This record gives sequence, structure tokens and C-alpha cells, in this order.
Amino acid sequence: MDTKKRTPFFRIPAVQTLIASLLCILLGLIVGYIALLLINPTGAWGAITSIVKNFWNYPNLNQQLRYLGNTLVKTAPLLMCSLSVLFAYKVGLFNIGAAGQYVAGAGAALYCALSLHLPWYVCMIAAAVAGALLGCISGLLKAYRNVNEVISCIMLNWIGLYTVNSILSSVKDPTSPYTLGLANTNPGAIMPSLGINKLFTNNRYTTLAIPLAILIAVLVWLVLSKTRLGYELKATGMNKNAAKYAGMREKYNIILTMGIAGALAGLGAAMFYLSGYEQWSVTQSSVPAMGFNGIAAAFLGGLHPIGTIFSSFFIQQITDGGGYVDMTMYSSDISDFISSLIIYLCGFVLFFRQFMNSRLNRRDELKLKGGDR
Amino acid sequence: MLLLIQYMLIFASVLLLVALGGCFAEHSGVINIGLEGIMVAGALGGALMMKYLPADSSAAAVVCLSILAAMLCGIIYSLLLAVSAINFKADQTLVGTAMNLLAVAAATVFVKAINTAENPNNVSATIQYVNAKKAFLVNIGGFEFNWFMLLAVILLICANVLLYRTKFGLRLMACGEHPQAADSVGINVYKMRYAGVMLSGLLGGIGGLVYITAGVSEWKFENGVAGFGFLALAVMIFGQWKPTRIALAALLFGLFRSLSNVYTGFPFLANLNLPSNVYNMLPYIISLIVLALTSKRSAAPKAEGIPYDKGSR
Amino acid sequence: MENQYAIEMLNITKRFPGIIANDNITLQLRKGEIHALLGENGAGKSTLMSVLFGLYQPEEGTIKKDGKVVSIKNPNDATALGIGMVHQHFKLVECFTVLDNIILGVEPTKGGFLQKDEARKKVLALSERYGLQIDPDAKIEDITVGMQQRTEILKMLYRDNEILIFDEPTAVLTPQEIDELMQIMRNLAAEGKSILFISHKLAEIMAVADRCSVLRKGKYIGTVDTKDTTVEALSAMMVGRDVNFHVEKADKTPGDVVLKVEGMTVASKVHKNNAVKNVSFEVRAGEIVCIAGIDGNGQTETVYGLTGLEPLVSGKITLCGKDITRAPIRERSLTGMSHIPEDRHKHGLVLDYTLEDNIVLQRYFEPEFTRHGLLQRKNIRAYAERLIEDYDIRSGQGPVTTARSMSGGNQQKAIVAREIDKAPQLLVAVQPTRGLDVGAIENIHKQIVAQRDAGKAVLLVSLEMDEVMDVSDRILVMYEGEIVGELDPKATTAEEMGLYMAGAKRKEM
Repeated sequence: MDTKKRTPFFRIPAVQTLIASLLCILLGLIVGYIALLLINPTGAWGAITSIVKNFWNYPNLNQQLRYLGNTLVKTAPLLMCSLSVLFAYKVGLFNIGAAGQYVAGAGAALYCALSLHLPWYVCMIAAAVAGALLGCISGLLKAYRNVNEVISCIMLNWIGLYTVNSILSSVKDPTSPYTLGLANTNPGAIMPSLGINKLFTNNRYTTLAIPLAILIAVLVWLVLSKTRLGYELKATGMNKNAAKYAGMREKYNIILTMGIAGALAGLGAAMFYLSGYEQWSVTQSSVPAMGFNGIAAAFLGGLHPIGTIFSSFFIQQITDGGGYVDMTMYSSDISDFISSLIIYLCGFVLFFRQFMNSRLNRRDELKLKGGDR
Repeated sequence: MLLLIQYMLIFASVLLLVALGGCFAEHSGVINIGLEGIMVAGALGGALMMKYLPADSSAAAVVCLSILAAMLCGIIYSLLLAVSAINFKADQTLVGTAMNLLAVAAATVFVKAINTAENPNNVSATIQYVNAKKAFLVNIGGFEFNWFMLLAVILLICANVLLYRTKFGLRLMACGEHPQAADSVGINVYKMRYAGVMLSGLLGGIGGLVYITAGVSEWKFENGVAGFGFLALAVMIFGQWKPTRIALAALLFGLFRSLSNVYTGFPFLANLNLPSNVYNMLPYIISLIVLALTSKRSAAPKAEGIPYDKGSR
Repeated sequence: MENQYAIEMLNITKRFPGIIANDNITLQLRKGEIHALLGENGAGKSTLMSVLFGLYQPEEGTIKKDGKVVSIKNPNDATALGIGMVHQHFKLVECFTVLDNIILGVEPTKGGFLQKDEARKKVLALSERYGLQIDPDAKIEDITVGMQQRTEILKMLYRDNEILIFDEPTAVLTPQEIDELMQIMRNLAAEGKSILFISHKLAEIMAVADRCSVLRKGKYIGTVDTKDTTVEALSAMMVGRDVNFHVEKADKTPGDVVLKVEGMTVASKVHKNNAVKNVSFEVRAGEIVCIAGIDGNGQTETVYGLTGLEPLVSGKITLCGKDITRAPIRERSLTGMSHIPEDRHKHGLVLDYTLEDNIVLQRYFEPEFTRHGLLQRKNIRAYAERLIEDYDIRSGQGPVTTARSMSGGNQQKAIVAREIDKAPQLLVAVQPTRGLDVGAIENIHKQIVAQRDAGKAVLLVSLEMDEVMDVSDRILVMYEGEIVGELDPKATTAEEMGLYMAGAKRKEM
């Protein structure tokens, strides 16, 4: 056989992943549309299009850009959460704890900003450390006590939520359940904009966070594909017995991975809360959805760091788009419905790729047979 | 004190039912991370039944029909896991996670749609069932006995018999331990796994109904079930996949969960002046500690989480 | 005339993409006979059995039962025809009792509840009748391999199977257990059961079988009466040429001690006792020391303890004068230990990595391959290409082939190349030729002997009697976690070694 033969287009893994992801999106939207039809057929088409359009729902360019900015403000933390999920998954760990690590990061960032009046970069580091600590607990429990990381992560999500609620109660606005506004209390904790806001019609929430998140995605890709660390971590994820046999420190790698994943999610929280876009409600009784949406983005992006940049944007686009449905007929939760459907469908991607390959094999075989005659 | 026992028993019932559900799924070889979602689906089914039953229905009818509805919804929803994990060999953790998110989102959308249709100004995600709920309660000298406590005990006995005294139980466990061996003696591994997952849907569905009727107020569907499905998994692991030990574990966890509801009634605890968040965290912290102590020597079914492929023998 | 065949497989052909696994094979099993099916790994034995059990549908050929054509679409059809099989890897549920395993799938019930008493009576009656000693209430994980096998046989008898297939049944047994099994098989045949005995061990076939059919590379070679043939003739039929099993090697005087093990004890993962008990031995430069024994007597754990995959309970290991008792795996490797693992898929390879990434698995961190934390792809490629050339590793796309898509022999060659090229002082090779064809085996034996001739110490762990006798300079026999004998391959016989392996004979060490 020719060793340098080019792989046929449809056999390239990236192409297959892309097709699979697009199919997931399409199916998710169709099922969402059917749900809307069932609830109220008259406005269903309008609702599904306004979900997908999101900022395009506005008539003029300036408004579009401003609201695109808002979506990007939330895309940055989502991207970080999906990188967190992806990074852990490469080592064979399912980091459902990104949500809790995100909470821990938010708590640390806001406490440093509002109570200790520290500058933004210190707050960010604190957030990363807090997220990493929470991740390390799961890693330690997995490595030394064989505790399933999914269950420990869920427990830590709740523990993290209640702890952060307690801690942030000390910097609460006396008249509302929310934490104090950053702009009034400590403007130095708001991430610098570096002129990025000019691009989005002076949307003051668009900051350094957006390019930084993309940069980190590229960095994660480089670490996984080009470095010794990535080589070790991936080997551990694919075959931990072989990794151990080759002298890699399996337990250390598990803890390190969960630590890095936690730091990524924690950093994501800092990117969001240090933009001043939103305050933390100390009475909230459920974990923010950002971490869970990160799972959707990670898998939809084909578990590739560059892919997740686009999938994160898409997930955030429809999540925000949910706000534009006709509230007299539907609820904005329809977007959560669609994105959780997409996660569910991502479970079928592996099967889909196998199916595609077997179809291609059969086609090739037929071709060969035809050629013989 | 009576209140504590009351809450402990009702929370223990929830955990027991859901953990038994997890136990059946895992004995068949499928890890059911989606128990939370199944609980929500069951809760939705039960709540809707309570809402739409005529107000003058007898208590027995309310009890039976709403349980039936919860069971049915739980089973149907569990099929999402069964199809993907058994037929399509999907990542069971991923699918389970998706199911948890999906159930909350779908239930919220659905309930809000119903409420908005009735009254355009009502955008809440609650279902009115306060009156119907009373059918489940029997007041015995200040102690609110809930029929679900009895149901949990009955189902515990059933589960034990089913697992250890019947042909079905033997075959189910064989599929979770060594599916190739089960296949080689003519047992249809796929069918048994479907059965295991659907049983977990049935039990998880009832568990969800018990959960929403346990609280004083009405349940908001957008809140989901606050990690109860995962607490139930912890109970199951602590109970080493054995129904009777799961029951004991459920009582222990039920105790810690109920503390957050009633700690103010105990002068000793109230004097500690701990923030309520500490009590809220307690069940999760306890379960982490328990898991750390018991997971090392676990008696988990050997083939759990591994998709069965007839081809690779 | 009454039909004399219990089962007939006539002109069976089964193709897979790229190969013909069964090419016009005919196998006829007479009623009440013991019929051996002989062939090397990859000769097509297991494909043929899969066809018989309905796991594969043949492209051509028919199957007859008692002279009538039958169609077998799945294992249930085979069971319904009274065909039963003892698989090479037992199909037993570890945490179930013997009785539960026997009745699984055909449970007697009343009103939905299990009736175990009834089943117990039937099982005990069967075990008495055929001399199959078992304890119905013991759990599988607690009983010996021999008893597990008897459980498998009882499973077939409980189902009233008439045609019994034994797939390589002796691989896991001690010589005494093998004798017992042979007697059981004779009893079964005497009671009218028809037995198909799959094996590649010639002596056993000669001892127990009435007739023997031989397959080679998917083709049917012929069927002979065992009383009219010899071991040599069968061997020639199986391999297709007279094979020289003997490995060429010159005499060599061993040098300094490279590996010294003192009082090593390793815990078992399976049971509560120690798998390796207070074992001491040495390996010198320029010698091949072989650890022989029946599978499961502590060899695997000995290697795990030595290579650091499992911690020691007690004892001391010295490699090249350095105490490595508690050293991590990486440090042992750097001190000069190479390890060809027993299970190449579990330990030896990251199957989803490329061939080149697998080739540097033990060296990726060296300055040649990693600089400032970055992988040096160019150097990795060049190194992989050199090893592929030197060790003749064949694959579809060279260095970038996924390891999973390579053949077993070439996967093993890649591992051997990686471990040998690292220039170790000590090579630990565990069943390095398992599952390989004759050509690949010769190649790997040559490599191992070359290491010894270059003055390296070699510790070989093998279950194959021939390999032990031919390759080693010194034999240590393990039995139940202890070294029970040290033998000189030139001065001992297979029979004597067998006695040690069975625990019937032991020397004070």
C-alpha cells in the first residue's frame, strides 16, 4: 500500500466531527421547534428564529454590536468552562465540577475585589487558585480514595455554592440580595477594556476577557498537542495502565489535571464577574448554569480547544437568544432545553462516526469489487 | 423531635427509592447518572396528575394515580438513557448529565407554558397541588405520617426479593458482572439492561414525587432536585449495592438532610449559632466523607459503565 | 445405515475482509468419540467454532446434526441442538456461587421464585455420576481454577448437552489437574457424549483423543486416527514443515550479578493471601533466567513487584548495585530495567497513539525528544523510523499508523524494539511470544538470545514448556507464590519440571 496516500475528505476526523456537531445542532433546533409548536403553534417559527438570531433581533448595527458584545462577555467564561471540561476529559475525567469551580472562582474574585479592594489581576489569580483548589479536592479523592469524580464534583458544587453564599454575604448590598457593585466599590477590580469596547458601540462590559479567553484556548491546544505534559496527560487518559507502566505518575497527573481544569473554570468566573456585568446573589439556591453549559460547548466543539471557541459562542448565542422569545407564549428556558438536548445528542457522536466509517468502508469495498470485474 | 423523625423518614424514603433505582441500573451494568432528571420527570408526572384530578377524588385515588403517573413518566424518561447507553454505546456520564439538565429545562418550559396559558401574568414554574397533597398525609398525634414511607418499605422488600430470590434478579446481576457469561447461556443482555434502567426509572420517578411532596411549600421546577439524585448515588455506594444496607445508609443521610429543616427547633443546635448554609451543606459534606471512606473497597458490579458489544467477546 | 456422526461441518468457508479464515473445512464428529482439533494460533479454529455457535454465518458449507441439515443463527440455536462449550476464558460470574453459575439461564422456578434445592440435587447427582468434585455453595472467586473448569463442565451437563467442546482446556491446569480432566473426558465419552477437544498440545491429543483433525492457515489438512500416527507426524501436519524448535545459542559463562531479589513478598489483588511469598533469586549478566510455572502461581505478581507496578509487602530488590526496592517505575527504568509486559494491550501500548508515540513511550522525556517541555517531533520521527527499519516493524502508514490498527505480531515487535533499543542492563520479558505465529516467535527468541550474548541479564517468564527448555540458561519454577526448584535445562526433562510445577516435588532453596 501507498504509505503517503491522502485521506479521503469524509474520513478526516475533523470533518467527521464537524458534520456530527452540525447535525447535533440541527436536530436540537428541530426538536426545540417541535416543542414550541406543541406549546403554541402560532408563534413557534418566530420564537425559534429569534433564539438563533439573538443580537440580530435588533434593527440597527450599533445596537447589534452592543448586544453582540453582551453575548461575548458571557461567551468568554463559557469558553473557559468548556476548556475546563475538555482538559479533564482528555485525561479521562468527567469534570462536571466546572460549575462548582466556577462558583469558587466567583467567590474568590468578588471577595478580593469588594472586601480586600485588590486590583483586577490579583482577583483573577485568586479566582484561579480557588477553582484549582476545588478541582484538586476531586482529584485527590479520585487518585487516593477511588471516589468517582462525577459524584464528588456534584457534592463540591453544592458545598461551593453554600460556602460562597456565606462568604459573599459580608459584601452584600444592604438593600438587595446582591453583592455590591464593582464600579462604585472598587473600580480598579474591573478588567481593563483596552479599547475593545469601542468595537461594540462602547459596551462597557466588553473587556480584555474576550481575547484572553481565546488566547487561553489556543494555549490549551498547544499544551495538549505539542508538549511533554500533553503527551503524558493524553496517554494517561487513553490507557492509564500503560501510562503507569511507562513511569508516568498517574495519581499526580490526575490531581494536576483537575487542578488545571479547576483553575480554568475559576478564571472564567473572574472574567465574568470582574466585567461588572452582573452581581452575585447570595440567596441563590442553584449552581449557575455556566459550568453545565461548558459541558455542552466542550462536546459540541468536538473536544478540540479551537472547536470550543465556536461552539461556546453558539451555545451562548442561543442561551441569550432565549430572552427574545415572546414571553406571553413561551419561557426563555427553551434555550436551556435546546442546549441540554444538544449535550444529549453529543452522546451519539461516536456512534455516528463509526456509522459513517462503516458506510465509507462498504462503499470502498463495492468500488473494489466493481474494479475487479 | 417528632418533626425531626418525620423529616428524616420522608427524606430517607426519597433517598432509598432513588438509590434502589440506581442499584437496579448498576446491577444490570448501566451507570445511571441521570437519576436527578428521572426524579424531575417523575415529579412532573405526579404533580400534573394531582393538579388535574377532580378536587373531589378520593384520597386513595389521588395516591394511586399520582404514583402511577410518576412511575410512568420516570420509566419513559429513563428510556433516553437506555437507548443511548445500550443501543448506541454512548458515554453514560455524558448522557446522564444531559438528562439531568434536560429534565429541569423541559419541565420548566412545560410548566411555565401551562401556567401562562391559564393566566398570561403567571410566569412561575410551580404547579398547584397543595390540596391534593393532603391525600398522602395521615396525622397520628402530631406526627405526619406519609403513605410514601410505607411505600418505600414495601418497595425495599420487593427489591430485595426480586434481586436475590428470582430468576430475573440472578440474570440481571449476571449482566452487570459478566455480560459475556450471561450472553453465552442465552440471556439477552440488551433486554436485561433495558429492564434494569427502566426499573431505575420507575423507582426514581416515585422518588421524585416523594421529594416534591416532602417540602412544606410548593415546588419550583426550575430548581431541579438539588443534587438529591447524586446523594442517592452516594447512598447506594455506601450501601455497597445491597438493598438492606442501602436502607440503613438512606436513614443516616435522611437524618443529616432533615437537620437543615428543623435545627432551629433544637435549643442545643440553635445555640451554636451556625449559619443556615452550614446545615444546607451538611448532607453533601457527609457524603463526600463517606465516599472517601468506602469507595476504595467497593463492591461495584464489574461491568458497570461498559457498553456491551455482542461482537467483541 | 444409522448415521454415525453427531455433528458434521461440511465444506465450511468463511471470509473476512482481506483473509479467508476458513477455506473449505470439513469436520465430522462421531458419536461417543473424543475428537481433537489441532492447529496453531490463527489456523482458523476459533472461527470454525464461532460458525458452529452461530456467531458467524459461513459464506459456503452446511452443518448437519445427526445427518440432518440444521441452521444455526445464534448461540441459542446451538444450545437447543445440545452443543455446549467450555471456553478458554471461563464464562463464570465471579461473585456468584457455583450453583448459581450452573443454573444461570435455565433456572428452575416456581411462581417466579428460584427453586435452588431442586437444582442442587440435580447438580450433586451429576457431579457424582461423572466424578466432578465441586462445592455448589462456594463462590467462584474463592475456588481453584480446576474447580471452576468442573463448574463449566457441569453447566453443559446440567443442560443435557450431547456435544461438548473444550477450547484449550489444559492451558490453565497443573499436570495433575490435566490428568483428572483427561479421565473426566473419557468418562463423558463412555457415557455417550461426543467431545471436541481443541488444542495445540500434541502429547495431550495423543493421550486422550480417538481422532484428530488438523487445520493450518485456514485450510483443512486432514483427519487421522491417533493410534496410527506419531507426535512428529501431527506436528508436521500442523506447521507444514519440520520445525526446529531448538534455539541456536552458544555456551556463555555468566558475569556479575545484575539483579538481586531478597525475600520479596507481594500481595495479591485477587485474594487475601500474598501472591508472592518470600522469594529470593539472582540474575547475572549474560544469562537468561526463566521463571516457569502454571499460570497464576505468582509469576505476574513477581514481575509487578520487580518492575514497580505493585508495591512490595516486604523484601529487597537490588539492580546494578542500587537498591530499588521503593524506587518509582521511572527510576527503575533509568537504572537499566526494560520490561516487555505480559499484556501488550493493557500495559505495553497506548493503542490510540501512533506507532512513533508508542516507540518513545519509555524515552519521551529525554533531552533528545523533549526540550523546554516541548516535544521534538522531528527527532521522534527519525528515531521511530530507525527502529521500524532495524526491527522490521510493519504497518500501514509507517510511524503515523495508529497502534490499534497493527497486527499483534508487529505490535509486539514494536514493544520489543522499544525495550531492547533502550540498551538495558536487565531485560524482563513476560510471555513475549504469546499469541504470535512461528516466524515471529523465532524472531523474538533471537532478539532475546542476542541480548544475553551482548552481556545483558535477561529474566524470562514463560508458560510454554518448549520456550522454557530451549531459551533459558537456568530455570526457576514457581508454585503457589514460591520458588520450589532451580533446574538446569540441559540436565532436566519436561517430566521433572512438570513435577515441580505441580508442587509434587520441591527443593529447599
